[in-house]
Amino acid sequence: MQPLLVILVPSQDNPFFKSEADAAAAHAKSLGYRVRVDAHDDDAYRQDNLIDAAIASNAAAIILDNAGADSSISAVRRATKAGIPCFLIDRAIDADGIAKAQIIADNDQGARIVAAEFVRVLGPGGGNYAELLGRESDTNAQVRTNGFHAILDVQPSLKRVAAQSANWSQSEAFQKTETILQAHRNLRGIIAGNDTMALGAVAAIKSAGRNDIVVTGFDGSPDALAAIRAGELRATTMQPAVLIAREAVDEADKYLKTGSTGKPERQIVPCDLVTGENVANYKDFEKIR
Amino acid sequence: MTTLVPLPTGSRRSGMATARAVLFLLKARAMLVLIALLILFSALAPSFFTANNLAILAKHVSISAILAIGMTFVILTGGIDLSVGSIAGLGGMVMGYLITQGLTFRGTTHYPPMLIAVILTIIVCGCVGLANGWLVAKAGVAPFIATLGTLYIARGAALLLSGGKTFPNLGGAVSRGNTGFPELGQKFLVGLPLPVWIMLILFAAAAVIAVKTPLGRQIYAIGGNERAAVLAGIQVGRVKAFTYLASSFCAALVGLIIASQLEAAHPATGESFELNAIAAVVLGGTSLMGGRGSIAGSLIGACVIGVLSDGLVMLGVSEFWQMVIKGTVIVLAVAIDQLQSRVQAKFLPLLLSTRAEAAE
Repeated sequence: MQPLLVILVPSQDNPFFKSEADAAAAHAKSLGYRVRVDAHDDDAYRQDNLIDAAIASNAAAIILDNAGADSSISAVRRATKAGIPCFLIDRAIDADGIAKAQIIADNDQGARIVAAEFVRVLGPGGGNYAELLGRESDTNAQVRTNGFHAILDVQPSLKRVAAQSANWSQSEAFQKTETILQAHRNLRGIIAGNDTMALGAVAAIKSAGRNDIVVTGFDGSPDALAAIRAGELRATTMQPAVLIAREAVDEADKYLKTGSTGKPERQIVPCDLVTGENVANYKDFEKIR
Repeated sequence: MTTLVPLPTGSRRSGMATARAVLFLLKARAMLVLIALLILFSALAPSFFTANNLAILAKHVSISAILAIGMTFVILTGGIDLSVGSIAGLGGMVMGYLITQGLTFRGTTHYPPMLIAVILTIIVCGCVGLANGWLVAKAGVAPFIATLGTLYIARGAALLLSGGKTFPNLGGAVSRGNTGFPELGQKFLVGLPLPVWIMLILFAAAAVIAVKTPLGRQIYAIGGNERAAVLAGIQVGRVKAFTYLASSFCAALVGLIIASQLEAAHPATGESFELNAIAAVVLGGTSLMGGRGSIAGSLIGACVIGVLSDGLVMLGVSEFWQMVIKGTVIVLAVAIDQLQSRVQAKFLPLLLSTRAEAAE
């Protein structure tokens, strides 16, 4: 029987995680593996159970987008002790030497390039802007906002007049943007921690008839690319999720065959800036040309 | 009667006045909290009390208010409906499916016009409500469990419809003859957004049903004492089924409104909306035991929650504090509800005695 590759991702109702899981699954199948995909819903306990299930079904390797930098360490260690190598994608854990690889998109660099584009579009005049943050307990939400502010805070002409968490959610971002627009009439830009929140902000701006406001996102989801093509969203950061997923499967394959990935454990992959000028080069979390 | 409260006449009179004042304040507490919040935010945020912002505020309130109106009927019978958030998510996804994918019969794809698609969506969501009603009334499943089950089923169905993806571009296409959906959530009529009108119409209809019709009296009767209601010949099963159907109808409308505002349908929309709706109902003074409460109270409760969250956003209060403040308001409101029952019980003899004296 073909060896089994277990792929664990946070959810399958989010286009980002779905693309990542699909890419890993398709690539693993093409290399001759059986594949099982499960979602742990960002719940470390559920992830624990899924890892146990993978051990019980004698998986050859686990590709894991984990449920928390600290809370996932024990699960990864248990799988490794049971002889199943783990290859981490998208999110790191706070421990070295347990996972065989940790391949992460550079969220800090990604945040900086989109913030730089935000500054460039607003011009030397600057002005007031609002920030929509992700779920504040999420590491990536923190890394991204820190990356934004590393660029934005050195611009004396830019002033952040509102900052609200919209918990990565489109409908929450829509309502909060509507309210922020009421409180701050002279808003010139909205920088969002991910694409779904950016699209919620775009919908609110449209319904308020304020098409002069610049909005940027983060992730490079298909819906965001469509909004960039339509000129509603100014820019986003493309996380190379598909590339990372394939790389993890390749390294797992190489490790199973040779006993080494031939790469350092921590690998950081840079993100790309997507704007109206280069949007044609990207599709579904992947650079296609 | 008078022997119960052996007070001199003068102090009894003033006692009665105090009792009335205290009872009035307790009964009108949600309204008082709402007025206090409106004054507070108007003072702190300069653009809060403007016609434009109040229209947007009303639009945000309409989401939880519409859910709360349906939920009130269910809670008045002593039940609970946990599935409304999932039904709202399912409603948006069904509409998104009909607009972007259409219905395929024998190889040809038909795109139903806007109105038909809305009706189909309401029918699909209504089926979930009927399932809730059947489970509670006929199968005898506890409402909490029955609607917890349909919460998962409806959410799963919403995810299955698109394989977890978003349905974008719900504006429709002229060539398919299904344009116009974005107007439902975005259009203004006589200065107010359409969702606010939907809320007001639902409120009026629900208030009339609750107060003026036999059905309304039967709903209160079941919540007050179900056994007595059965013995009085009320068709308890049918009345309960109606309440769950009404609740799912309201949830379907909410799902449609959100999808229309965003021009996109996401399967996770509406998560934990049921808790907001229940909080609004409880804030409005409806007892979770059933039999006591009002539709108007729930509307005020929804206003309190909406004003609180929008006002805090305007002031730039962080998400963490918003949650703490919202929770505190809900818990205090219910604590005061209990206080009201006790105070009422204590003052009742006093009020009765003065009434009896006046009659002498």
